[in-house]
Amino acid sequence: MKPKVAFFDFAGCEGDQLQVANLEEDLLALLGQVEVVSFREVMKEHSDNYDIAFVEGSCTRLQDEDRLKQIRKNAKIVVALGSCAAIGGINSLRNYKDLDSVKKTVYGDQAKLFDSYAARPIDAVIPVDAYVYGCPIDRDDFLHVVKSLLLGKKPETPTYPVCVECKKNENVCAFERGQFCVGPVTRAGCNSCCVNEGTICWGCRGLVDNPNENSHKEVLIKYGLTVDDAIGKFRLYFGWQEAKR
Amino acid sequence: MKIISKKDFDDFINALIKDESWNVIGVKSRGSKFAFGPLENAQELRLDYDVTLLPPKKYFFPQRETLFTYDLSGGFSAKNPDEAKPMVIIGVHPYDIVALLHMDEIFRETKSDPYYFNKRKASVIIGVNMQKMSKWNFSAYMGCAVIDYGYDLMLTDLGNRYAINTGSQKGEQLLAKYAKNVTPALARDIQIAGQKKREILSLSQQKFDFPPEFIPELLKDSYSNSSFWERHSEKCLACGSCVLVCPTCYCFDVKDNPDISLEHGERIRTWDGCLLEDFAKIASGENFRATRPTRYRHRYFKKGKYLFDRFGFISCVGCGRCSSNCLPNIANPVDLFNDMYNESLNNGAQAITATTHPEVNIQTEGNIDYVPKLATITKKVPMTLSETLFEVKLDDGTELGHKPGQFVEVSVFGIGEAPISLSSSPTVKGAFELCVRKLGNVTTRLHKLNVGDKIGIRGPFGNGFDVDSLKGKDLLFIAGGLGIAPLRSLFNYVLASRNDFGRVFLLYGCKEPKEILFGEELAALSLREDVDFRSTVNFCPENEVWTGNIGVITTLIPQISFDPEKTIAVLCGPPVMYKFVIADLKAKNMPDENIVMSLERRMKCGVGKCGHCQINQIYVCKDGPVFNYSKIKGVPEAL
Repeated sequence: MKPKVAFFDFAGCEGDQLQVANLEEDLLALLGQVEVVSFREVMKEHSDNYDIAFVEGSCTRLQDEDRLKQIRKNAKIVVALGSCAAIGGINSLRNYKDLDSVKKTVYGDQAKLFDSYAARPIDAVIPVDAYVYGCPIDRDDFLHVVKSLLLGKKPETPTYPVCVECKKNENVCAFERGQFCVGPVTRAGCNSCCVNEGTICWGCRGLVDNPNENSHKEVLIKYGLTVDDAIGKFRLYFGWQEAKR
Repeated sequence: MKIISKKDFDDFINALIKDESWNVIGVKSRGSKFAFGPLENAQELRLDYDVTLLPPKKYFFPQRETLFTYDLSGGFSAKNPDEAKPMVIIGVHPYDIVALLHMDEIFRETKSDPYYFNKRKASVIIGVNMQKMSKWNFSAYMGCAVIDYGYDLMLTDLGNRYAINTGSQKGEQLLAKYAKNVTPALARDIQIAGQKKREILSLSQQKFDFPPEFIPELLKDSYSNSSFWERHSEKCLACGSCVLVCPTCYCFDVKDNPDISLEHGERIRTWDGCLLEDFAKIASGENFRATRPTRYRHRYFKKGKYLFDRFGFISCVGCGRCSSNCLPNIANPVDLFNDMYNESLNNGAQAITATTHPEVNIQTEGNIDYVPKLATITKKVPMTLSETLFEVKLDDGTELGHKPGQFVEVSVFGIGEAPISLSSSPTVKGAFELCVRKLGNVTTRLHKLNVGDKIGIRGPFGNGFDVDSLKGKDLLFIAGGLGIAPLRSLFNYVLASRNDFGRVFLLYGCKEPKEILFGEELAALSLREDVDFRSTVNFCPENEVWTGNIGVITTLIPQISFDPEKTIAVLCGPPVMYKFVIADLKAKNMPDENIVMSLERRMKCGVGKCGHCQINQIYVCKDGPVFNYSKIKGVPEAL
């Protein structure tokens, strides 16, 4: 019997689910292996009977926690899909600001109608079995995780940084091009896709397990960033992880 | 030496490109840097480059390479990749040519790597003497800035013409077939070419404070200087850039890549690096080089000492790529070794000299076979909650032909490969046994397989126990936990020819009664008069029954009396066990040479190539896993 799969979203842009919907011919092959029972972006139907739950978005409200716990209860395997769910993502930027002023910026004088707390990855609320990192996720990396789960294998996630993939792809280092990159502390697995295109790594897959953050901040400053800008580079995606470390 | 005008040289390159039987590779610009890539015309070629981003080794040992493809839909079939297309690589600097010669020796030692040599043999190397030198380059110090061997053709830029040195018949033929107006060099050309080479040696902006041939000797005393290594590696990002761009690094990882049908897939190998965090981590979670300073040190030792001891060369050609790619600027070997040299002088070291070169004798015995043999699980006996005994038969009907103490690489296609010790004695024919603990992905999946299911087997690998040297001796087997699995292959071998050996002891310990492996066999041993068997558990939970000894394995040693001179102790257990057991055996006056042990590391390729199981200078998969204590007591990473 094909495993039943469901997709859920919390605070996020749903760009990761869009990546899944955009898998093209791979999506058809994937549908030969799994039965999708809930996927708001592509179908109307919904069922609470599923084996694997892909959860996109970070948890930003107390009432999100109940829904997450219910998903955890229903699913055999919970997968965090994308940066917001996996590492807190860009939403965690607001954790460094006063919550009331953040609410005011977004909701204006209606702010008190909306409940909110510090943004966090879903594993701050429920146990998570596997992670698909990235903002948005890389389609091949998503397929890698899905294939591993179907084979009953714990998905192998690189513990090394993006530099490894950059070197293999023979990219000219962003620093050599006069740019600033957090690839040296960011978890690989994206095949250094942004640097391949001539830009930088913004760190969307989060910090590696044991980053040497101080050394890399020194590097950023050595190459000409101000201390504040270096901290900002780290906060864009690492906000939640840094606060926890 | 021959001469060709630059115009005729361009025509030569274009003629090669036009003949589509060749892959024509050359140095091209890439952003502000240079890289080897396929040439579309001679104008793209940039022989005035300083250094390329990656060395040309990527054409022989690619970043990612398919070892074989598999298809499970109709049983199993594996297909090796196709033969390599002839390739000519134009513009290789001398240091990169020397690096290829290093790789050649590494890839043919013990067993030859067919994937590497297929491509290497199908290639023609056209070198070029440096016209510019990267500011990080120190190849002149490493003896690799100018060379007279290793190339098929070597170019020297003489302004409006190239001088060409021919290094092989292949090069000669290429020139004869594709180049026009090649003339013999005049005396003036020889002189100018000689002057150019002299100039190259003076281009170096790096400076060694001492002759680099001292490096192996210098490293000898620096291993335990942990403050030195901590200081130098403090800023290490563990990003692996230094080793990934290195022309002499050859470590790799092996992975399965199934397609979405899950029935087809490929096994690939990819570049790996000893600086990366999980490089020496095994399935149980133990990481034998968990910290940045130990991995950082390993790189310098591997380059400067371990490979020197094995091959007689310092595994560095001075290209400077590691230095230029290190953002915190801590990877420059010149800086590190200068600091080490000066520190040792300041600490009052006597004059340091060059180490005598070791005798080097590279033997090659056939090719490495990365494609496993198909095998069938013929019995599956659960032993504990996490350990199962599998009986396995090779489908081609052959015997595995192993020695006690050897291991095999077990494949579960789509998941990967894992090293597993053989648990059965070679005296048992027709099938072999593997006692497997559920730990990583492969072993977890293996536990879900049933009798009749197919797996892949490579091997046997490793040295195994030297059975003949044990004959006539008293034997003291000491096994901790899963360590009984490899020891059983020897123990049962001994029982099968019991008269060849003296007294036999078996001490076996595990955490608690429910973890006992081979319980029935061990119970039968208790009844034998010709074996002194004793077992212990660390503790016994209240709801279980245990009438035997309670305590760690060393508590059994005082219970037996043996003649330390006549007895060989054979040890296998978790890493923590060795230290304590050896101390107790030594306290009983057992000589070091009488202690033999089997070690566990991350053995990935099984043939001493991939680098994962390396402890200091030793490859556990090839030089071990069985070691005599006297040989490894001075190897710091071993115990």
